[in-house]
Amino acid sequence: MREDNDDYKFAACTFFAKDHPGETCGSNGLPLTPSSVTIIGQAQRLLILKHPNLCTYLDIIRCKHERIIVVAEVIGKSLKETKSKFSFEEIVNIGLQIANALNFLHKLDITHRTLSDDNILIDSNGQVKLFNYGMNYMTKEGNEVAFPIGIPRYFSPETILSGGGPSADVWSFGIILLELCIGKLWQNLKPGPILRRILTLVHAGNAAERIARENDYYDIYKQVPDYLKNIIEKCLKIYPSERATFEELVSELSCLNTKTHVEIKRVRGLMGCDLHVLYHLWQLAGGDVQAELKKNCLIKNSPPILSMPIAILLDGCTIGGKTGALFDRRIAKYSLDLLKLRLSHISPHDFYPLMHEKRKVYDAVTLPKIIRERDTEYQFYRLLWFQRLLKGYPHTAAYIRAEAEVDIPPLLRGDVWAALLGVCGDIESQYERIDKETPTPTDKQIDVDIPRCHQYCLLLCGEAGHRALKRLLKAWLLTNPQYVYWQGLDSLTAPFLFLNFCNEARAFACLQAFVPKFLHNFFLKDNSSVIKEYLAKFWQMAAFHEPELATHLHEINFVPELFAIPWFLTMFSHVFPLHKILHLWDALLVEGPSLPLFMGVGILRQLRDTLLSSGFNECILLSSDLPEIDIGECVKESINMCRSSPRSISYRRYTNEPAVKEPADDVVIPMETLFSEICPRISLSDFFSLVCQDKCCVIDIRSNLLYEKSCIEGSINVPYSGVQLGQHELRALGLRPQRVISEAVKQKKTVVVASAEDETAQLCEFFLGGFSLLASRRRSTSRPDMEGYFDNDLKDVFEADIDPVSRPCLIDIRYRLQVMSSYLTLGMIKMLFPLPREIAR
Amino acid sequence: MATNRTGGAQRPNGAPQTKVCQFKLVLLGESAVGKSSLVLRFVKGQFHEYQESTIGAAFLTQTVCLDDTTVKFEIWDTAGQERYHSLAPMYYRGAQAAIVVYDITNQDTFGRAKNWVKELQRQASPSIVIALAGNKSDLAAKRMVEFEEAQAYADENGLLFMETSAKTAMNVNDIFLAIANKLPKSESGGGAGGAGGARRLADGDTPRASSCCK
Ligand SMILES: Nc1nc2c(ncn2[C@@H]2O[C@H](COP(=O)(O)OP(=O)(O)OP(=O)(O)O)[C@@H](O)[C@H]2O)c(=O)[nH]1
Ligand SMILES: [Mg+2]
Repeated sequence: MREDNDDYKFAACTFFAKDHPGETCGSNGLPLTPSSVTIIGQAQRLLILKHPNLCTYLDIIRCKHERIIVVAEVIGKSLKETKSKFSFEEIVNIGLQIANALNFLHKLDITHRTLSDDNILIDSNGQVKLFNYGMNYMTKEGNEVAFPIGIPRYFSPETILSGGGPSADVWSFGIILLELCIGKLWQNLKPGPILRRILTLVHAGNAAERIARENDYYDIYKQVPDYLKNIIEKCLKIYPSERATFEELVSELSCLNTKTHVEIKRVRGLMGCDLHVLYHLWQLAGGDVQAELKKNCLIKNSPPILSMPIAILLDGCTIGGKTGALFDRRIAKYSLDLLKLRLSHISPHDFYPLMHEKRKVYDAVTLPKIIRERDTEYQFYRLLWFQRLLKGYPHTAAYIRAEAEVDIPPLLRGDVWAALLGVCGDIESQYERIDKETPTPTDKQIDVDIPRCHQYCLLLCGEAGHRALKRLLKAWLLTNPQYVYWQGLDSLTAPFLFLNFCNEARAFACLQAFVPKFLHNFFLKDNSSVIKEYLAKFWQMAAFHEPELATHLHEINFVPELFAIPWFLTMFSHVFPLHKILHLWDALLVEGPSLPLFMGVGILRQLRDTLLSSGFNECILLSSDLPEIDIGECVKESINMCRSSPRSISYRRYTNEPAVKEPADDVVIPMETLFSEICPRISLSDFFSLVCQDKCCVIDIRSNLLYEKSCIEGSINVPYSGVQLGQHELRALGLRPQRVISEAVKQKKTVVVASAEDETAQLCEFFLGGFSLLASRRRSTSRPDMEGYFDNDLKDVFEADIDPVSRPCLIDIRYRLQVMSSYLTLGMIKMLFPLPREIAR
Repeated sequence: MATNRTGGAQRPNGAPQTKVCQFKLVLLGESAVGKSSLVLRFVKGQFHEYQESTIGAAFLTQTVCLDDTTVKFEIWDTAGQERYHSLAPMYYRGAQAAIVVYDITNQDTFGRAKNWVKELQRQASPSIVIALAGNKSDLAAKRMVEFEEAQAYADENGLLFMETSAKTAMNVNDIFLAIANKLPKSESGGGAGGAGGARRLADGDTPRASSCCK
């Protein structure tokens, strides 16, 4: 028995959802949602229920031909299978456990309706759990299946007549108790006669007694102690309203219960893991739910010809054709041997990772994320560790972030995302308080968008998904009155709903935290300047990291306004399918709000060869209908780009980031200027750190005169006026510049172009004085550690050497610095000059 | 569904000496009336029940063969939500043809279509060919806009008019063909306004106008 418990932790059963006759359409012209999809959506709530007397649901799977497979925990044997008779003391205890479970369900407005001796499980310790108690709930009172649910013997009279409410469970419970006391009822009768018998009870004064008599058990019934008879009779009242409630039953049974629950020692090791984790690992280790069902003959394969209908009517209804049983009461148990074997070498110590222990490095970490996600052992360690960290959230937030940077176990992605977004506090009651029902003018648009939003996803395409998405959108709009509904907000919300399908409040809290961080002001009624700035910045990043491609795209006038709005407005959630968005956002949430700009560049980079060889039409076609993008690669590249770029070049005005305080970090320029510049500007401090690390090559394009007066050390002078526009060759710049630039390109240095805006030329001179000061000071102090000098003491220099009155000039009017990536190509030479686009062309 | 043989009167592909004309066509209309579905049907011969909503705009091309010319449509499928309205001029300016779409089961969308027509008449090139498409004609049982009403409106305003269904493909190719036939196919491409040269978007110009016969 003990063995048994350990070997089989979960089992599956299967049934068919109802077929819609023919290809009927809903009122909106769209096809009706298949019943199986409705069932999947409905069943999600069951997956998160946890109660000691309920078998945890683990998975609901939709297969071909509307087949549904339900996977859930199992223990011991069903009451039906147990041969031994129970003492009255034991019966009270069993009854109490069942009543506890049903009380819990009723509190959640879930009616069992199918309670019977084959779905009440009991193990050798006397622990009772209900199995598959959600049939009625997931099939919407049996409406989504074509077979009657439940076993007639346990039906209450009103169930037979009209379906019955929660109190029907009380009746069934009464019958269970009665059977436990006196024996199985109506043993040799077919369902029809049983139903008739139950209906005739309507006239009986005492239904329990009458049933006992009918089954020749009256003598045994008389010997049942009064306290039990009393309870049974309170359950078997004909009028539902007269029956006891489970709340009452629980308290009565608790008083009677003498058997104290033996405190079973908590199982340690693998079998002590959370069941959802076990099931997940079991699948990774090769466990196959369907294969097992086939082996157990619960799924039978017959040649398709046998299941073909004999005739199909014009309205699509079919006649004839053999279909398998719609519902099979049997269950298939799954052995965990394979998983145990797979993880057998793991030491018991590893099951309890300690916070401050040094983490082991696993070989798998070098593999691509998609492979790591399928590696049993790797996931095992990750899951245990993340579970540990999540328990300590929010105190462990920094650890979680650091670990999430490596990867996020798919099973815990919803929890980890919420942690990364800083979601905490009483989100349920906050969400509860928001009015999600009152109609608003926006509903019309939301209603037409939701049935088009990620509908390939089983969760989002069902009715439950549609309703939840609408509630989330309405709640968000109401909470953020400064924002309006832009098409695309639906797609943006979808990943959060997908990961938190049964935890709408958390989905909402995540969205609520995500938008200010990544899409600050994008959903303003007038968001044009926000979007324009974003796109301009994106284009500059493309120029920085993909100069050759950017030049080509500039030339053919392929501008981001034409294709990239949905990319950024929805953070790619309108562009990619969910499984790709998840990986993209994993990185986004860790890296922060500049990453998306580089992700955009990453996508272009993947299309690079095609784009380079295409004209405007082909390019725009390609971006309208993106080919397969390798998201893993794209994420990797974009993180590299993001980290290797000087921070200031991706600076945006419209963010929620703390404002720049240090003048040397400042790169604010007027919008119009931003839109006209191809290359990004760099802040003084970023520039200095490039200089100090000898990672840049400075090209000063002011006039010779100004350059002679003062300049940045090591810069070369290529007076702008001396260069012929349209010259695309480095040679045209003169011999020395050619040599210096080629060398810089070879060493992958960043090219910084320094210039002075005309109108501020004189002031700039003064500013250059500041530079000379820097230089002279350096000479005089002759400190060897230059880097430290520039990085840390910059402020001191400013303060020490420039009188306070003129400092503001220093901040505003300075070298105009623009950077280009080190991968400068010859064709790019014209972009060396920070000219407005028109002139450059 | 044929993808490339959309013309009623066809010519084998690659037939020499065929004049090739390129026209820019824009689709306008309220959200969810089926603009993207019409284009998808016309370009790829497909229909997706769960066609995603369009954000910004999408671009597709398709070629139809007339008797003596091959007409290449450069199609801009725009976003229907009113909020995206400000982007629309970018797409219709410089277009030689427009299809304004409404949903026959929804009166509001017809009203919105009329506004689009007005805007085009005011702002777009004067020689633009406008077609009105009453889409979702397969849902005739739920019709809210009468055929006659729309026809009368189209006649008044000199628009091509057809009721279409992206779902059943009814009249989809036909409406594009009718437009192709009506478009002037002279050497200069019909003299649609604002043609030639690459221009900048910032000025509110078209992404790219091309109205040249080669
Ligand atoms: N019955 C029927 N449904 C259609 C037809 N055309 C489109 N639909 C459906 O209508 C819905 C909206 O179609 P879309 O093509 O996305 O509409 P749209 O005009 O592009 O919408 P936006 O992109 O939001 O501007 C989709 O669910 C389509 O399946 C049609 O001819 N008949
Ligand atoms: Mg569309």
